[in-house]
Amino acid sequence: MMPSEQAPTAKPAVKYRSQLRIYVDIMKVIQREGNQAKPTRILYGANLSHDRLVKYLEELKTLEIIQETGDEEKTYSLTQKGIEFMNNFRKVESFAGAFGFKI
Amino acid sequence: MHNAEVSLLFSNTLGDRLAAAVGFFGFDSLMELVGFAIAIAVAFQAMKGYTLAKERTLLYLNFSFILLGAGLLVEGLANLVVLFSRFHRGGLLFLSSVGYTINFFAEVLAFGILIFAYLQQTRAWSMQLAAAALPIMLVERNPFTELILIFLLVYIAAQTAINYSISKTTNALLVFSAFTSLVIGHVFFLLFTVSPIFFPFAHIFQLFGFLLLLAMLFRVNQAR
Repeated sequence: MMPSEQAPTAKPAVKYRSQLRIYVDIMKVIQREGNQAKPTRILYGANLSHDRLVKYLEELKTLEIIQETGDEEKTYSLTQKGIEFMNNFRKVESFAGAFGFKI
Repeated sequence: MHNAEVSLLFSNTLGDRLAAAVGFFGFDSLMELVGFAIAIAVAFQAMKGYTLAKERTLLYLNFSFILLGAGLLVEGLANLVVLFSRFHRGGLLFLSSVGYTINFFAEVLAFGILIFAYLQQTRAWSMQLAAAALPIMLVERNPFTELILIFLLVYIAAQTAINYSISKTTNALLVFSAFTSLVIGHVFFLLFTVSPIFFPFAHIFQLFGFLLLLAMLFRVNQAR
């Protein structure tokens, strides 16, 4: 076998994101966009399919973490609860990261 | 009078070394109690993180530091009881050994759990089994117990060094320095089995390690 060839049985190492990680990725995109993000931005920024994006945005709205504004051109922003969650999450991320643990 | 009285109570080899380090007694317990408080603060932060993120490694971190703290508390209190007991001090001396034994097992378990958490991330199962197979049977501070702790701590310090080399953050540097300091502390505890002069240095480095962890906690909680 040539060095460039892959063994047919070798599977790529896939690490699936947890639901929390996806929530956080969405919220990070919204914050990065100045707390006013359009769905397309979130879709690309959080690397999600359209169906999954709609599902997670609905869940975050139900949890009162984000709010939706605009009728024709929807935008999403973090609520106060969402901002507090992100502040706490960043602390946890920083704490775990100091030990070398990823969350 | 007090020091001479304590010195007389020790008669074996370890006792002779302890008697030589007697001027430092009390301070070592206080340092251990400070270490206990910091370990519990780290455990609390890990628990807060676990409640928010439900990440199992944070739970391991919590268990690990609770055990570290508990071990330090027991040993610190046991030594204080012996130091301040007015009567039957000789009879109470075994408490020091009991305190050390509990602290030793707590440390082995705590560092073992931390190593398990690191290995969970790298999925090196054979190493997990090797860590789990560590021998446990000892009572007094001796080179063998200290070597086990140094072995465990060196692995953790290496992991934190790798983390720092990748992330280059101040918090990672503080954690790496903390575990390096704990390694040095235990190296001095190992050397204490040869000469009593190393006893204060061992405790100072151990305390310094915990203070570095405290500094990391402050930085994490001050960040906005």
